[in-house]
Amino acid sequence: MNIDLWPLLIYTLIVVVLVPGLLVVSSLLGQRRQDHATHDVYESGVVSTGSAQLKIAVPFYLTAILFIIFDLEAAFLVAWAISIRESGWLGYTEVFVFIFILLAGLLYLWKSGALEWRTLRQQRDLANLAGEGGVVNVGARAAAAKESHHDHHDDHGHDAHQAGHGGAHH
Amino acid sequence: MNLLFYIAAVVSVLSTLIAITRVNVTHALLYFILSLISLATIFYTIGAHFAAVLEVIVYAGAIMVMYVFVAMMLNLGHATIDQERAWLKPTIWIGPSLMAAPLLAALVFVLLKDTSAAEMGHTVTAAKQVGIALFGPYVLAVELASMLLLAGLVGAYHLARK
Amino acid sequence: MFEFVVGSPLNIVLILGAVLVAAALLIWVERRVLGFLNERLGPNRVGPWGIAQSLADVGKLITKEDWVPPFADKLPFIVAPIIVPVVMLLSFAVIPIAPGVGIMDLNIGLLWVLAMAGLGSYSAMLGGLASNNKFSLLGGLRAAGQMISYEVFMGISILGIVILSDSFNLREIVEAQHKHGWFVFPQFIGFIVFVIAGLAETKRWPFDLAEGESEIISGFNTEYSGMKFGLFFVGEYIGMLLLSALIPVLFFGGWYAPFGLELPNAIISGIFWMCAKTGCWIFFFILVRAALVRPRYDQLMNYGWLVMLPLSLLNLLVTGAVVLAQGN
Repeated sequence: MNIDLWPLLIYTLIVVVLVPGLLVVSSLLGQRRQDHATHDVYESGVVSTGSAQLKIAVPFYLTAILFIIFDLEAAFLVAWAISIRESGWLGYTEVFVFIFILLAGLLYLWKSGALEWRTLRQQRDLANLAGEGGVVNVGARAAAAKESHHDHHDDHGHDAHQAGHGGAHH
Repeated sequence: MNLLFYIAAVVSVLSTLIAITRVNVTHALLYFILSLISLATIFYTIGAHFAAVLEVIVYAGAIMVMYVFVAMMLNLGHATIDQERAWLKPTIWIGPSLMAAPLLAALVFVLLKDTSAAEMGHTVTAAKQVGIALFGPYVLAVELASMLLLAGLVGAYHLARK
Repeated sequence: MFEFVVGSPLNIVLILGAVLVAAALLIWVERRVLGFLNERLGPNRVGPWGIAQSLADVGKLITKEDWVPPFADKLPFIVAPIIVPVVMLLSFAVIPIAPGVGIMDLNIGLLWVLAMAGLGSYSAMLGGLASNNKFSLLGGLRAAGQMISYEVFMGISILGIVILSDSFNLREIVEAQHKHGWFVFPQFIGFIVFVIAGLAETKRWPFDLAEGESEIISGFNTEYSGMKFGLFFVGEYIGMLLLSALIPVLFFGGWYAPFGLELPNAIISGIFWMCAKTGCWIFFFILVRAALVRPRYDQLMNYGWLVMLPLSLLNLLVTGAVVLAQGN
C-alpha cells in the first residue's frame, strides 16, 4: 500500500509559494516612509518606557508543562482509540488507570493552588474587597459578604480601605 | 517517494546544522522545528505514517512549543546572543567533533555493509498496529509511561514554585 | 464533462480558489452581519451591497509599506504571519467536500489536522516574541497558553469519533455516519468540547484574549502592519472556515443530505450540502461573536483544564466502554 502523495505535495508547494509571494509583492509595491516616529515602538501613541523584557508569571510556565504532559497522554489515547476493538477490556482497563493517574495529578495541582493565576497579595485583596464597591463577580463569596454587610458595615469599609492602602505601598 | 526521502534528508541535516550554529535562540528553534518536520516527512516516506504524524504533533507541536515558550518567558534579548557568541568559539567544536566522528564512521559503515533492508516503504505500519502493540504486549510500558508523566507533572510544579 | 477524482489538478485549483474566495467573502459577510446586529450598515460601498470590500482591502494592504520594525527580530517576525495561512490551507487538503472532490485522501487525515493546528500556535508565539514590544509579548504569551491548552482538549474530544468510526480518514468518518447516523448524537459532549476548543484555537470571539484590544492594544500583532497583518487576519478567517467545515464532517454527516433531501447529481448534492452545513456554522460563529463577552484569562484557562479536560476524558471512557460492551 503506497499512497500517491503527489496531490498533497503539489498543493503544499502552491500554498508555500503563494502565501510568502503575497509578502514579496507587497514589499515591492509598498511605499517607504522615514518620518520621525516611523520606527518607534507602538504603544497606542504613548512614548515607550523601559524594555520589552518583562518578568512573566509562573502560571504560564505551568500551562506549558500541563500541555506537554497531557499532549503526550493524548498521543497514547490516539493509539488506543484506533485499536480499541482489538485491545479489548485489557486495553480499556489500562487506559482507565492511565487517565485516572493523570487526572489525580491534575487534581493535586488544582488543590495545591497551582492553577491559581492571582498572586498571594491579589488573593488577599480580593478577599477584602468582595462586596459593594469592591471587585465584582466572585460568586458565593460576594453574596456572603453582602449578607454580612448589614451587620458589620463599619468593619467592612475599614477592611476595604486597608487593602487599598496596603496595595499603594507595595 | 525516494526523491522525497532524499530531499527531506538533506533539509533535515542542513537545518539541524544551522540550528546548532545559530547564536540567536529563536532562530535556532525555527531551524530545529524545520528539522523535526523534515524528519516526520522521512518517517512518512519509509511507511511509518503514525510515527510521522506523532513526530509533528508531539515534537514539532509540543516539545518545541515548550522551548519557544521558555524563550518567551526568559526573553533576555541581546545579552544572551552576545553570551552565546562568546561560548561558540571555534575551539569549542573540537571535542564534540572528535567524539562524534567515530559514531558517524560506524553509522556509515553499518549502512554500507547491510543493504538488504534498503528497499524503502515496503512495510507500512498502520496506526492500528501501533495501538494493538501498545495496549497488548507492551501494556505495562504504557502504565510506566503514565507514572513518568505524573512524576513530570508534579515535579515540574514543585520546581516552578521555588 | 469533468471527471472528479480526489487529488486531480482540477480539484486542487478549484478547492484552493474556492477556499480563498470563501475566506474573502467571509470577512465581508461577518462585517456586514455584525453591522446589522449592531444597528449600523457595515461595509456597503464597494460593488453591490459592498460584496467586493475584501478585494479592495487586499488592494490596499498590498500597496502599504512592508515595514519591519528596526527593534524586531527580523527572521521570526517575517516568518510568523506566513505560518497561519499556510497551516490552515494545508489542513484543507484532507477535508472531504463531496464524493470525488477533495485534495488528498490521507488515512491519517484527522491527525494531520491536529498536527497542523499544533504548528499554527507558533505564529502568535513567534510574532509576539519577535516584535520586541511589551504588549506583543503579553499577547503572544496569552495566545500560546490558550492555543496549546485548547489544542489538547480538541484532540481528546474527537477521539470518541475515532472509536466509533474506527478510522482517522475523514472520508471514512463521513461514510460511517452515513451508516450509523450523525455522530453529534452519541458524541454530544465531545461535540460541545470540540466547538468550544475550536473557537479558542482559532482565537475567535469570545476567546480573543490574545488580541484583547481594550487591554493589550492588539496583542501579538501590535507591531504588524500592511500585508503581514493581512496574513494574520486572513489566516484567522481561513481557520474559522476550516472549523466550520470540520464540524459537519465530524459530527453532521459531511456531504450526505439530511432527511433524504439529495439533489439528482451526487457530486452537486454533496457540494451543496457540505457548503450549506459549513455556512450554518459560519453564521453560528458570527452570532457567537456578536453575543458573547470576553472571559478573563484565568477563567478561560481554569475552565479548560478543570472542565473541558475531565469532560472530554470522561466522554472518551464512556464511549469506549459502550463500544466494548456492545462487543463490536
